[in-house]
Amino acid sequence: MTAMETMKDARRFVSFVGKEFNHILRDTRTLMVLLVMPVVMIVLFGFALSTEIKDVKVAVYDPSKDAATARLIAQIDASDYFTVTDMLDGEDGALDAFRSNSADIVLVFEDNFYHRAVHDGDGRMQVIVDGSNTNIGSMAVFYVSSIVSSFQKELARETLMDQAGNAGEGASGTSQVNISTSMRMLYNPQMKSAFNFVPGVMGMILMLVCAMMTSVSIVREKERGTMEVLLVSPVKPFSVILAKAIPYFVISAFILMTIICLSVFLIKVPVSGSLMWIVLVSLLFILVSLSIGILISTLVSQQEVAILISGMVLMLPTMLLSGMLFPVESMPRILQWISYCVPAKWYIDSIKVMMIQGLGIKYCLDCVLVLFGFLTVITGLSVFKFKDRL
Amino acid sequence: MISGENTRKRIMELLGREDDHFLKEGDVIRTEGLTKCFGSFTAVDHISFTVRQGEIFGFLGANGAGKTTAMKMLCGLSRPTSGRAVVAGYDLHYNRDVKHLKKVIGYMSQKFSLYEDLKVWENIRLFGGIYGMKDDVIAEKTEDLLRRLDLTAQRNRMVRDLPLGWKQRLAFSVAIFHEPRIVFLDEPTGGVDPATRRGFWEMIYDAAERGITVFVTTHYMDEAEYCNRVSIMVDGKIEALDSPAALKCKYSAPSMDEVFRLLAGKAKREE
Repeated sequence: MTAMETMKDARRFVSFVGKEFNHILRDTRTLMVLLVMPVVMIVLFGFALSTEIKDVKVAVYDPSKDAATARLIAQIDASDYFTVTDMLDGEDGALDAFRSNSADIVLVFEDNFYHRAVHDGDGRMQVIVDGSNTNIGSMAVFYVSSIVSSFQKELARETLMDQAGNAGEGASGTSQVNISTSMRMLYNPQMKSAFNFVPGVMGMILMLVCAMMTSVSIVREKERGTMEVLLVSPVKPFSVILAKAIPYFVISAFILMTIICLSVFLIKVPVSGSLMWIVLVSLLFILVSLSIGILISTLVSQQEVAILISGMVLMLPTMLLSGMLFPVESMPRILQWISYCVPAKWYIDSIKVMMIQGLGIKYCLDCVLVLFGFLTVITGLSVFKFKDRL
Repeated sequence: MISGENTRKRIMELLGREDDHFLKEGDVIRTEGLTKCFGSFTAVDHISFTVRQGEIFGFLGANGAGKTTAMKMLCGLSRPTSGRAVVAGYDLHYNRDVKHLKKVIGYMSQKFSLYEDLKVWENIRLFGGIYGMKDDVIAEKTEDLLRRLDLTAQRNRMVRDLPLGWKQRLAFSVAIFHEPRIVFLDEPTGGVDPATRRGFWEMIYDAAERGITVFVTTHYMDEAEYCNRVSIMVDGKIEALDSPAALKCKYSAPSMDEVFRLLAGKAKREE
């Protein structure tokens, strides 16, 4: 009797999972969005939206035309960040260069630069930035000053050898920035900011697919009245939910692989940590997101509300508070506390540790434990809510 | 045979309880003081009635009279606040009974709840599978069903592409595909034209002739005339219960529509 019932249950469950796959595979538009979105996002964040600068166009006004300015200009031109495009005849040329878009920044040296730098210790130069491009602006100033400050040391050493003791100031106000440079470069020597986006995109996409799609698909059955029919039938409510979760779990696992492959082969993130742990922690996060989706579906009865909740209550905090766009450390205390309630924050943190910093699982055990906590609490809540409904 | 002594004995053995003969021979549903409250609001107020084996039982009432709530209790979707109800031999008070009950009833809602993005045959197979039917039985009965509904050529069409009338007939056929003892129909003819509705009632008669008890809620009073017996609910209570002919006689009204208007006019509850 019980064996027969188990067989029947198994048969029910299989026909259910098949039905869910049919729903998803036949909705080709949604499926394409789900599969293409991670690719687009990784490429977008990886390249287009990158805060990294490359080949910034530099115009130079150099009235002194001495050995020091020539070397400095050559060094700037040689770096990957800048290309010297134009030598201007006068200071006024800067405006024209910006207007005609032939330069992003303009360097202006004072007259007799070498002599004043070496002998008076006060060589002045000015960096003029096209403020309309804030991204390039702050980064460009930062890189110019670091090139200048290393040039200044070089110059000082040479001068020291020439005439003992008298080092010159290369440019004013450049030394403050150096410390932060070394901080940024600690784990990311090429300073490719795309790397930091990858865990963020992973967290966001997986959250989106699992939580939003699962909740919408369950709520859709409520809306169309099929859920009622299922609840009147001998199907266990739990297996209805489980059958819904399985296809999205499979899709998420596929998306996870896509993102990891794209990161490794396209953006060339040096995945230095254990790939196995990265995948395992991601699967844990997928389960957390699925449970959130199921919880949402037990709370609402309209697809629009489900989308809104997963969009506003999940996506926004995930993007803003997870440290994906802005560092959590520099946020006000209250926002930091709120960010602790965002599961994606813990996931993204742990993936950053393992993927970008290349550390082992034991350096992000706390994050993993928190994720387990989320999973237990949310699953418990949704089971409780589901029973409440019946 | 279904409500016969032997079946009842088997059910009682299965549940491990003594039969207290609450449900009489020849009856499939009996309720006594069945009540459902939501907070301080009493949606269903001490209703007591019996439904006989194989009859078409009409459950009428205005919107908000409590008929859907009552029906949900009888299907095991919602737990009664108080009172007793035994459906097909299973006592709604016990969760175990409700689990067994679900295998022997069918349900069709006013939304003709089929999966729009599944094909006709896939819907049939899915619901057959849900009720634990074997694949070969499902395949055989599916052919039979498609032939009877004249849908053989449409078997591979998505349900969303079917006209409303076809959807409704298919939904009903799917609801009784596993040969339930009772089928609950919640306003099954909403939004369908009169000719299609008549065709649908022929299907209901067929099912009743095969011994399936039909419990149907409806808005349309001309449909009430098709039922063997009807109950009229007003403000959560059953105001009248008899055959349409007897009710018309009692209230000396020419039609069920008139009877309904007389009774429902007393309603104090807002819709």
